[in-house]
Amino acid sequence: MKTAILLIAAIALITLPKHADAQLLKKLKDKVNKAIAPASTTTTDQTNSTDNQVDATGKPTNKGGGGLKNTPPPDVNEQISDAEKSHQAAQYSDARYSLQQALIGIELQLGRQMLKSLPDPVAGLAKDTIQDKVVSAQWGWSNLTIQRVYTDKKEKQLTVTIGNNGLYSGFVTMYFNNAYGMQANADNQNMKQVKVKGNKAIIQYDDSKGYTLIVPIGQASMIVWEAINFADETEVMNAANAFDIDGMKKQMGEQ
Amino acid sequence: MKKLIVIAVILFVTQPSFSQDFKADIATAKTAYAGGKLADAHFALEQAMQEIDMIVGQEVLKLLPTKIDTLNSNPKEDHVMANSGFIGATIHRSYGLHGGSEIEIISNSPMLAGLNAFLNMPMLGGMMRDENTKVVKVQGYKSRLEKQGDNENGKPNYSLQIPFTSALLTLTVKGKSESEVLTLANSIPMEQIAKLIQ
Repeated sequence: MKTAILLIAAIALITLPKHADAQLLKKLKDKVNKAIAPASTTTTDQTNSTDNQVDATGKPTNKGGGGLKNTPPPDVNEQISDAEKSHQAAQYSDARYSLQQALIGIELQLGRQMLKSLPDPVAGLAKDTIQDKVVSAQWGWSNLTIQRVYTDKKEKQLTVTIGNNGLYSGFVTMYFNNAYGMQANADNQNMKQVKVKGNKAIIQYDDSKGYTLIVPIGQASMIVWEAINFADETEVMNAANAFDIDGMKKQMGEQ
Repeated sequence: MKKLIVIAVILFVTQPSFSQDFKADIATAKTAYAGGKLADAHFALEQAMQEIDMIVGQEVLKLLPTKIDTLNSNPKEDHVMANSGFIGATIHRSYGLHGGSEIEIISNSPMLAGLNAFLNMPMLGGMMRDENTKVVKVQGYKSRLEKQGDNENGKPNYSLQIPFTSALLTLTVKGKSESEVLTLANSIPMEQIAKLIQ
């Protein structure tokens, strides 16, 4: 028994590093080949690399591609006239599709416009345009989401999300309709009602998430600020006050 | 007979009115968009889309059978509801005096695309077979036939769900045998309806 285990251990010891060594050696060899005669070894390189890029089941792994081209949002005027034409020809499903495309076009434009109108910097944090997001999910307003991140590139960050935020909407309605249960809990108050520029809002604090401030605007939209590593409530409120909420309402067509 | 004429007139009158609304909405959308009022343009286009759904619904109603076996349809209860939210248009027609037998189509719903996938997953209780459920094919569409108890005469009630792309057609028939239900289902012009709804 003992000898068997020893034997297995020995085999494992010998074979494992060998395999690793072999790979290392192969890589070295490839590199040397490349350095010495890049042109002549290209074909072998390719075969070698396909060897390496196959996973355990024999399926090749993707090494990269051009990705998708960033196409401009649909041309609204063109889509509208397409919709008209299809409607005239009684091709209703085509008309519907064109209308949907036009809606996406408008939503994306609106999102970009909104992003442009946001203040910068906020609470000493600069905007990080790489994280700017406008998402339209073509099913009506409910899924237009505009997001902007302000960050000091260290640990302080403010994320603003404008739109119909499914994550919070039910929760906000519940809160405003049933304020009794939550505000009464004074020992450990982590949520309360506040006002941001005259708009009803709720602010919440959670040790793991930081501050979350939610301002419902109009009938279906809301603005959500998520503030990470902000010193206190006042700092969050000051940051929120830097935003032109009335202007946003106007752009979203909300009252 | 008089009733039929009245209905025909109503259909004739309402159909163009949807078209007119569509044109008006498109015009509003164009003006709003040209004036940079994106939210207004958005609203107008949504309205136009609802009008399209209404028109499609009316067109589909025209395709649905006016009679199921011996039961005549109840034109007064024909119903199209457009909703550009999560559930698309709902098209409804009922048959027989005492109700119960009906055809309902829900179209253009992203939620349904998920539901249809679900219906096709035997592991989740979708297209499976037990004492009350079985999978049948209706005009090439895999469908779910469910027996829903018996009616007052002791004859079985059936519900047949036919999912196609982002739409779902439900045929409910009371007091008929399985083969009768399937014959009825086969009399629905699925292909034409699918063309309109897609």
